[in-house]
Amino acid sequence: MFRKSHFNIRKFIYDAFDKDMAKVVFEKVGIWDCTTCSACLNKCPKGVDTVGFVTGLRQLMVEDGRIPPPIRDALKSVSIHKNPWKIGAEERSKWAEGLEIKNISEGADILYFVGCTPAYDARLQKVARAIVGIMNKAGVDFGILGNEEGCCGSEIRRMGDPWTFEYLAKENIETFKKYNIRKVVTTSPHCFNTFKNEYEGADFEVQHYTELIAGLIEEGRLAFSREINKTVTYHDPCFLGKQNKIFDPPRKILASIPGVKLVEMDRARERSLCCEGGGGRMWIESEDSEDRLAKIRVGEAMCVQAQILATACPFCLLTLEDVVKTEELEESIEVLDIAELVIKAL
Amino acid sequence: MNKGFEPNIVGFACNWCSYAGADLAGTSRIKYPPNIKIIRVMCTGRVTPAFILKSFQNGADGVLVAGCHPGDCHYIAGNLKCEKIMDVVKRLVGILGIGKERLRLEWVSASEGGRFADVVTEFTEQVRELGPLSGKSQG
Amino acid sequence: MESEEIKIGVYVCHCGINIGSTVDVEQVRDSVSELPNVSISRDFKYMCSDPGQALIRKDIEERGLNRVVVAACSPRMHEPTFRKTIQQAGLNPYCVEIANIREQCSWVHEDKADATDKAVKLVCSAVAKASLLEPLEEKEVEIAPRALVIGAGIAGIQASLDIADAGFQVYLVEREPSIGGHMAQLDKTFPTLDCSACIMTPKMVEVERHPNIELLTYSKVIEVGGYIGNFNVKVKKKPRYINMDRCTGCGLCAEACRLKGRITSEFDVGMGKRSASYIPFPYAVPSKYTIDAEHCLFLTKGKCGKSPACKDACTADAVEFEQKEEIVELDIGTIVVATGFDLFDATEKPEYGYGLYDNVLSGLEFERLVSSSGPTQGKIAIGGKDPKDVVFVQCVGSRDKSVGNEYCSRVCCMYTAKQAYLIHEKLPDARLTIFYIDIRAFGKGFEEFYDRVREEGVRYIRGNVSEIIKKGDRLLVMAEDTLLGEPIDVEADLVVLATGIVPRADVRELMNLLKISQSPDGFLLEAHPKLRPVDTASDGIYIAGCCQGPKDIPDTVAQAKGAASSAMTKMSQGKVKVEAIIASVDPFICRGCGRCVEACEYGAPELQEAEPGILVSEVNDSLCKGCGACAVACPCRAISMKHFKNEQIFSQIEAVI
Ligand SMILES: Cc1cc2nc3c(=O)[nH]c(=O)nc-3n(C[C@H](O)[C@H](O)[C@H](O)COP(=O)(O)OP(=O)(O)OC[C@H]3O[C@@H](n4cnc5c(N)ncnc54)[C@H](O)[C@@H]3O)c2cc1C
Ligand code: SF4
Ligand code: SF4
Ligand code: SF4
Ligand code: FES
Repeated sequence: MFRKSHFNIRKFIYDAFDKDMAKVVFEKVGIWDCTTCSACLNKCPKGVDTVGFVTGLRQLMVEDGRIPPPIRDALKSVSIHKNPWKIGAEERSKWAEGLEIKNISEGADILYFVGCTPAYDARLQKVARAIVGIMNKAGVDFGILGNEEGCCGSEIRRMGDPWTFEYLAKENIETFKKYNIRKVVTTSPHCFNTFKNEYEGADFEVQHYTELIAGLIEEGRLAFSREINKTVTYHDPCFLGKQNKIFDPPRKILASIPGVKLVEMDRARERSLCCEGGGGRMWIESEDSEDRLAKIRVGEAMCVQAQILATACPFCLLTLEDVVKTEELEESIEVLDIAELVIKAL
Repeated sequence: MNKGFEPNIVGFACNWCSYAGADLAGTSRIKYPPNIKIIRVMCTGRVTPAFILKSFQNGADGVLVAGCHPGDCHYIAGNLKCEKIMDVVKRLVGILGIGKERLRLEWVSASEGGRFADVVTEFTEQVRELGPLSGKSQG
Repeated sequence: MESEEIKIGVYVCHCGINIGSTVDVEQVRDSVSELPNVSISRDFKYMCSDPGQALIRKDIEERGLNRVVVAACSPRMHEPTFRKTIQQAGLNPYCVEIANIREQCSWVHEDKADATDKAVKLVCSAVAKASLLEPLEEKEVEIAPRALVIGAGIAGIQASLDIADAGFQVYLVEREPSIGGHMAQLDKTFPTLDCSACIMTPKMVEVERHPNIELLTYSKVIEVGGYIGNFNVKVKKKPRYINMDRCTGCGLCAEACRLKGRITSEFDVGMGKRSASYIPFPYAVPSKYTIDAEHCLFLTKGKCGKSPACKDACTADAVEFEQKEEIVELDIGTIVVATGFDLFDATEKPEYGYGLYDNVLSGLEFERLVSSSGPTQGKIAIGGKDPKDVVFVQCVGSRDKSVGNEYCSRVCCMYTAKQAYLIHEKLPDARLTIFYIDIRAFGKGFEEFYDRVREEGVRYIRGNVSEIIKKGDRLLVMAEDTLLGEPIDVEADLVVLATGIVPRADVRELMNLLKISQSPDGFLLEAHPKLRPVDTASDGIYIAGCCQGPKDIPDTVAQAKGAASSAMTKMSQGKVKVEAIIASVDPFICRGCGRCVEACEYGAPELQEAEPGILVSEVNDSLCKGCGACAVACPCRAISMKHFKNEQIFSQIEAVI
């Protein structure tokens, strides 16, 4: 049925008991299929660190130089350009041209950490601009790092390169220190998660932008002036929901937009289905030929008659929208980031 | 045998776990150095700082207090109370120049005969290394 | 205090060659003979033997010894023996001190000179202490021949019946309107499939009729003071708003109640409805109605129509809205705790969709569904139709670190097998699948029953279910068959979760009330996991049934009988010796700071007003266990520990170095 991969973590673990670990990985298929979404980690009754095991195995492969070319390119790109998208660091703040955003060096309450994908991907740049627009409307005092911003390392770590991750983490922490940054707001749940849970020695507060906006709405700092008369469902990104238990702020935002009819899919909150965008999967296809999870997910959204499938993660947005395009569903359903919906209604 | 410095060690062991653990070391014939002499108390919660200071004053080179593992104390939490007091006494013996390393608190259960012997052997060696506390004690 | 001259006899034992081969016994004997107060020092092959003991007694009589030191094996071995020996010769049993020169000397050292040296020091230490030993008094307290049993599930019922049959008065306190507990909710019971109600009802009726049992239902224990033999207990009886003597159990009030069919029935775990005036289940004991103050219109709003419908309907004039709660005070000798368990809340495992899908049931809900006394009279229908595919999921909330329960609930493997069997009986065409991690069929007749269920065609698949989602009107259960290493999806009309057994939500309250503790799994802690499984750290308080840990009915009943017998043993002794090695406060030194009260885990020291405005601590002999924590805590050294006084230990320190 809904099974994507022949990847079987138990087989890996059992084999690793008495065989040379690296050998295990090379013999078996599927190690790059795992999206590190943590669905299994949260459920495992014996508390096995499945995700740690997968990234550990990938690390062995990276060490051994047996990396699939797209992964290798992404890792290389991060070392050179400080982003995995193979575009120069000097182009990082192009998305912000004409927006007159303060550079953090001028001092601000909040650093808006845009992230690699929203900075470089044309589709996601819209989301970054929407977030900026919302913050401006609410009078939030924020700044960005501009071209000085560098990859958070979350995906790099999950592709099996903890060394580059450590390096990026150290550099980011130092940059934040340099500008005396106390609070960081991210576009991506992936940046958010790694800052919050994986940056050792970090002493700044981190928020996902949905938390910030939900707070602004609650404080009455955002007033909606337009209605969006649509049925909307929300897809919980794994790194925001499952991994950080942030389920309610995004829903609160959607529910407060006038006209929006919020409906839930069968698999919501902890039960959400992964879109397959995490764990380095933006850079490598599954070895299996079954349906993509994103396709199943769009199907689920259509089952509840949603006209808009909203999410709050750059990767989810790309994977889900890709399905809508390839399946030619543009007439029936639209994939949007929550920030885009909010800015439309303001 | 060439005998160098033989430290004098006083042990306080609670009746229910550590004294029983020491007995088990005996029943299992596990060997350890004879330097330690144990005084039985009902619970480590009974060990007042005065017992320890008096021991050092009278020429002990080391004092070992042994009780039940946390959660196992026969009197619910005597061992935890002892741990708190021991922190203070350790600081005190530090200040007095006796040295914190000469005072040790260990958890040994009634089933840990081997562990009791290990703890005593290791502590005896440590005190031997530290040398005599005063001119008074010798081999 | 009279000061008599101390005369100590020292007896060094060879213990065959156990001591003699490593310790020079004669040398030990001679080295201590000149110590102050020592009047005679001897050695003997076996001190614990009859001739050895006779030797001591003879010396006491002939030489007027008044303290004895035995250098031999551990005091944990023979201290009681030698206490008896000297008692027989007219001395106070606490006038003997043991030097442990076997377990802590001859058996652990090899060098004879070293071992002998150490033995001498240990004997010196014992002599020093013996010189300061004081006779102690062993007090006894009477035990009230009355037991309190808390919780009236099968454990509490069985314990009460046993104790009452032995002739002791029992107060059985149950917080629900009826006794019975979880067993009353079950349909049939594994592995024999006898009907739960059929085997339980006679016992429930017996409890009600028993002349020695006083039943306090709809009641809670709110205060426990005192100690073994003399517990002072307060029980709060909630008002039922129905006169128990007048109510005939006819149910006219419930029929008439304006809220009839509008309140969810606790007994049917939310699957059935009841009135505000209700009886939890047809064969409830006592068979009297209760008006639920949380819902009743008259009690919550002050108004129910023109006049309360129940009151108008009742022909026995039993409805009494003016009833108030009552406090009952009891003097109790021993206590049996039998408060049972709570069911694991399956919403903590969102992947199973419990609470989201109506056709995902907990194990207990299924018991009610399949029971002929249940809300559907035992008809298993889903959306009006017989389910074609039923899936069971085992270990829900058990053996699961993700919800913090590492233990096995011990009943769900078997109750799942039973439930599958019950469906098979009623709906032979239904396809039944059970997902399991391991099958634990350890009890008598369990494996045989498991085999029988499999032979009936129930499919067992080894693998933990990963998620349950909707598929049209049906459910899709997804898992991995770990024996085949393949993913498997099963469609189902009904999913039954084998929800586990968890500690009562209010277990802490009970622990504080009774001063007993819990084990890491959250259930009540027994005094020893193997040898004292029904005792607690508090004397006179025993535990039985699922409050101590998950178990099935046979084990519950066995443990209840064990707890009852422990309680009875104490009560039939009539008296209990209290610890002689205890704390005592010097009222002239005590300045009433209360540190001892804080330090004591047993509430033994209490501040008393000696003179107006002057507080002095006093230790209750019956509560003190002699740990010594208060003596350490006392800033004035007002507390001395009998048998372990400061001076006694100081003298040992001096002797040992
Ligand atoms: C779904 C399911 C199916 C089962 N099927 C079987 C089976 O087929 N065969 C079998 O052998 N076992 C079965 N069991 C196990 C069986 O239910 C238990 O072994 C048994 O009920 C334990 O009885 P108990 O008296 O210890 O606890 P309980 O039945 O929980 O009784 C405790 C009683 O104490 C009362 N109480 C609690 N706290 C207080 C308080 N503070 N003051 C006063 N009263 C209080 C409660 O109201 C309750 O009446 C099953 C269990 C479950 C969950
Ligand atoms: S007063 Fe009314 S609501 Fe209350 S029990 Fe009687 S009939 Fe029911
Ligand atoms: S009894 Fe069976 S189903 Fe229940 S927790 Fe134990 S192994 Fe799991
Ligand atoms: S000796 Fe222990 S039990 Fe006795 S009163 Fe003191 S603290 Fe309480
Ligand atoms: S009884 Fe052993 S430490 Fe308290």
